[in-house]
Amino acid sequence: MDPPAGFSGLFPLGQLAYFSKNLQEAEQPVFTLKRGEAHNCFLKSGLVQPVLQVHRNTIPQIRLEMATQDRSSQRLPPVAEPAVEGVPHLPVGHELAEASRFAYAALCGISLSQLFPEPEQSSFCTEFVAGLVKWLELPEAVLPTMTAFANGLGGEGADVFAPILLKDPILKDNRLVIIQDLLSFSLKDGRYDARARVLICHVTSLFRVPLEELDLLEETFLESLKETKEEESETAEASRKKKENRRKWKRYLLIGLATVGGGTVIGVTGGLAAPLVAAGAATIIGSAGAAALGSVAGIAVMTSLFGAAGAGLTGYKMKKRVGAIEEFTFLPLTEGRQLHITIAITGWLASGKYRTFSAPWMALARSSEQYCLAWEAKYLMELGNALETILSGLANMVAQEALKYTVLSGIVAALTWPASLLTVANVIDNPWGVCLHRSAEVGKHLAHILLSRQQGRRPVTLIGFSLGARVIYFCLQEMAQEKDCQGIIEDVVLLGAPVEGEAKHWEPFRKVVSGRIINGYSRGDWLLSFVYRTSSVQLRVAGLQPVLLQDRRVENVDLSSVVSGHLDYARQMDIILKTVGIHTKPGWDEKGLLLTPGSPPQEEPRQVAATSSSDKTTPGDNPEVATPADPSRVQVPTGLDQSEGASLPATTSPAESPQLCSHGTGPNPLGCPDCASETQGPCPGLD
Amino acid sequence: MRGHLSSVKGGEPDWGGQLGSERSGVRMDEDVLTTLKILIIGESGVGKSSLLLRFTDDTFDPELAATIGVDFKVKTISVDGNKAKLAIWDTAGQERFRTLTPSYYRGAQGVILVYDVTRRDTFVKLDNWLNELETYCTRNDIVNMLVGNKIDKENREVDRNEGLKFARKHSMLFIEASAKTCDGVQCAFEELVEKIIQTPGLWESENQNKGVKLTHREEGPGGGACGGYCSML
Repeated sequence: MDPPAGFSGLFPLGQLAYFSKNLQEAEQPVFTLKRGEAHNCFLKSGLVQPVLQVHRNTIPQIRLEMATQDRSSQRLPPVAEPAVEGVPHLPVGHELAEASRFAYAALCGISLSQLFPEPEQSSFCTEFVAGLVKWLELPEAVLPTMTAFANGLGGEGADVFAPILLKDPILKDNRLVIIQDLLSFSLKDGRYDARARVLICHVTSLFRVPLEELDLLEETFLESLKETKEEESETAEASRKKKENRRKWKRYLLIGLATVGGGTVIGVTGGLAAPLVAAGAATIIGSAGAAALGSVAGIAVMTSLFGAAGAGLTGYKMKKRVGAIEEFTFLPLTEGRQLHITIAITGWLASGKYRTFSAPWMALARSSEQYCLAWEAKYLMELGNALETILSGLANMVAQEALKYTVLSGIVAALTWPASLLTVANVIDNPWGVCLHRSAEVGKHLAHILLSRQQGRRPVTLIGFSLGARVIYFCLQEMAQEKDCQGIIEDVVLLGAPVEGEAKHWEPFRKVVSGRIINGYSRGDWLLSFVYRTSSVQLRVAGLQPVLLQDRRVENVDLSSVVSGHLDYARQMDIILKTVGIHTKPGWDEKGLLLTPGSPPQEEPRQVAATSSSDKTTPGDNPEVATPADPSRVQVPTGLDQSEGASLPATTSPAESPQLCSHGTGPNPLGCPDCASETQGPCPGLD
Repeated sequence: MRGHLSSVKGGEPDWGGQLGSERSGVRMDEDVLTTLKILIIGESGVGKSSLLLRFTDDTFDPELAATIGVDFKVKTISVDGNKAKLAIWDTAGQERFRTLTPSYYRGAQGVILVYDVTRRDTFVKLDNWLNELETYCTRNDIVNMLVGNKIDKENREVDRNEGLKFARKHSMLFIEASAKTCDGVQCAFEELVEKIIQTPGLWESENQNKGVKLTHREEGPGGGACGGYCSML
C-alpha cells in the first residue's frame, strides 16, 4: 500500500496537492486539500497530473472523482464561485461592497491603534493596514486615511464601524465572514503574528461573536492545510455540528487564501511538536510521509509545517546543556493542533497527585495545542517537599498564631518572623534559592527558543504559577532585550509569581506581550512572603499584590479567596484559570475531584509516549524515572520522607473544601482571606 | 449673519498646556489649545475634497477622484492667538458610502455643509443633510457652516441670498467660496474654528466627556454642580 517514493508520497491517500504554477521550479506544495474540498477552487488541469498518476495506481475511485473535477476545472477560473452542494455562497472579504470594505479596514486600523499605541508598534500597524487595503482591493487613495487611523489619528472609536458593518446585507447573517477573512489575511504570509490574533480577537468581540467560533475557524483553517486523522472524541452530535460548520467555512478560508496566488506557504504550525515528530512522524504526516522525509520535498513540507528548526529541537536540548540547566523539555498536554499554542509552566512538584509537571494543568483548555515545560524536576521536587513539610508538619502548630499577624500586617511584618518558623527555614531556603536561580536561567532559555521560533510562527500564550511564573517573568525580560521580540507572545498569566512587583520592571513587557498580562496574586500567601524574606530584599512581590502598571494589557486578579496558601496554586488551578478568564475543560470539576492522589490516569501513557521518543528519559514527569542516577536526591530533605506520609493527607484534603475558612485547623490557617481582608489594606506593600 | 474674520496668525505660545490633556493617540503639541473635529458633508461632486485640499495643501486638482469612504487630514491653525488642531473628516458624498457617514458625526464640534452654486439639486438636498446631522450628532451646540462652492463658475444656479437665507433659517454660518480660486476657503475654516472656540462648552467638555474624573468637590463660587455646562448640553 505504500506509495512510491518521491514527493507525491508525502500526501496521505485521498489527499490532493496543489502545486504552485511552475512545477519544475518549486516542487513544494502550496497546500494540500482533502479530497472533497478541491471541487473547483484550485484545480488547474495538468498541474495535478503527476499526483494523479500515483493515485491512479492505488485508489481507483479517487481517480474517478478527480477526473470529473479535472474536467470541470477547465471551465472554471482558478478562484471560482464556491456554489457547491447547496452551500450558500458566502463571499470573501474583497467581494463586499466598497463601503463595507472601507469600514472593515478602518475598523482594523482604529482597533490596532487602540490596542498598540506604542510607537515601536506603529510600523506593524501601518504595514498591517496597508496590506489589508491591498487585500481588500481598496483604491490606494484610502491609504493615507487608513494609515492615519492605524497611527491613532482620527479614531473616535472602532466601535462606530462595527454597527455599520453589521448592517451590511451580507454580514448581517454572517458576521464570521469578516473574522475568517481577517484570519486568512493574517495567515497569508505563512505566519501568524500574535498582534494579529489579538486584533482578530478584538474584532471578534466587537462583533459579539463568541471566541469559540474563532477557535473553530482556526482549527478549520489548520485542518484544511494539513491532513489530520478524524479522532475527535466528542459526543456524536457535537462533532457532527462542528463538522458541518467546518465544512462550510473551510471552503471559504481556502478561497480567501487562493486569492493571494500561488505563493502562500503556511508555516504556522510549530516546532514544539518536535518530540512527537521524533516519536514517529508517521502519526502526523502519514507513514508515507515519514518515508519521504529525506527527500527535498519532504524537508520542505516539514519546514513549512513545523517551523524551520522544529525537528532539531529535541536533539539540541538533549545533547547540550545550556548554562546551568539540567532539564528542559516540552511535554504535550493535549493532542490537538492549533494555530496558537499555550505553554504551561509548573512551579514545583509535590508528592502524590502533583508529582508530574502536567498534573496541575489537566483542566487547562486555552488552546487545543498545549504543552507544559518540564524543567529541573529534581530541584522542583525538593522544593515541593520542603513546601509541604513547612505547611503541613513543622510549622503548622507552632507558627500558627504568630503567622496570623504576619499576614495581617503585610510584608512589613515579614521582618519579624516567628522564631519557630525560622528554625525550620533551612528546609525551604536552600531548595528555594536553587530554584529561584534555575527558574531565571530556564526563563532565559525559553526566551531564546521562542525568539528562534522553534514553536513555529504562531502566537504563544504562557501560563505559569509560582516559580513557573518566575520562568515566564525572566523569559519576557530576556525577550524584551531583543529586537524582534514583538508579535510572538499573545497572553501571559503569572500566578503567585515570586518576582518583583514594581511596575517599572514590568514596563518592558508591554513590548513583548501583545494580549494580556495577567498577574494573579494572593494577599494571604504567607509562604511566599516567608521564602522571600531572605532570598532578596524585594519588598514588592508580584505574587502578593497587584502590579501597578498602567496599560490595557495588565490585569491584576486578586485570588485571595481561592488561594489561601502557596500550594493552592496547583490544587485550585481549575478555579484559578476560570477566575483569570482562561478557558478550562467543561465539567472538569467532578473529574478533578474524582482523581485520587498519585494516579493521574489519562496522562501517564501519553507522557511515556512522549519521553520514549527522545533518546534519553529526561522529561522527569516521573521523578523516579527522570533522575535515577541521583540517589542522594531522595534523601536530601532529610526527614521529609518520614513526614511525607503524614503530610500527604493534610495537604490534599483542603482541595476538596477550598472555600472553607480554616482558622486554626487547616495546614495554612493564615491564608484565610476573610481574616486578611478585615485589617489589611488593598496593598500590603511598604509604601 | 456672516461674521468678520478676526484671526491673528502665529499666536501666543503662552497658552500652551494650560488646558492640557488631549485625546490619547493624538500627539500632544505643546502650544495647541485643543483638537477640534470638523466634518465636511454634502452631495457628491460639490467640491468637499477640493475645499479641504485647498485648505490643507493649498493645491487644486480639477480631476480629483471621488472620495472613498472618508478622507482624513490634520492641520493646525491659529485663530485669535489660540492654536487649534483641526482633525478634518472629508466624507464621501456618493450614495454607496452613505452608510458610513453617520459614524463620523460622533464627537464633531463643527460641520461644514457644502453645496454647489451651479447645481441647484445640491442645494435642494441640503435639508436631507441637516436631517441626518440632527439624527446623528451627539451634541446640539455643534457649530454648522454652510459653504456655497464653485463661485468661480459662470453658470450659477443658486443665488447668494438664497444660501444666506437658508443659513439664517437654520442658524448656520455662511460663506461662498471657490476651491479653484482659493476664494473664501481659508476664511471658512477660520471662522468656523473661531466660533467653536467662542463656545467654550463645546470644546472644553471634550476632556470631561472622556471618562469619570474623581476629584475633590471644590466647586467654584456659583459654579453649580455641572460647572455651567448644563444649559448648553
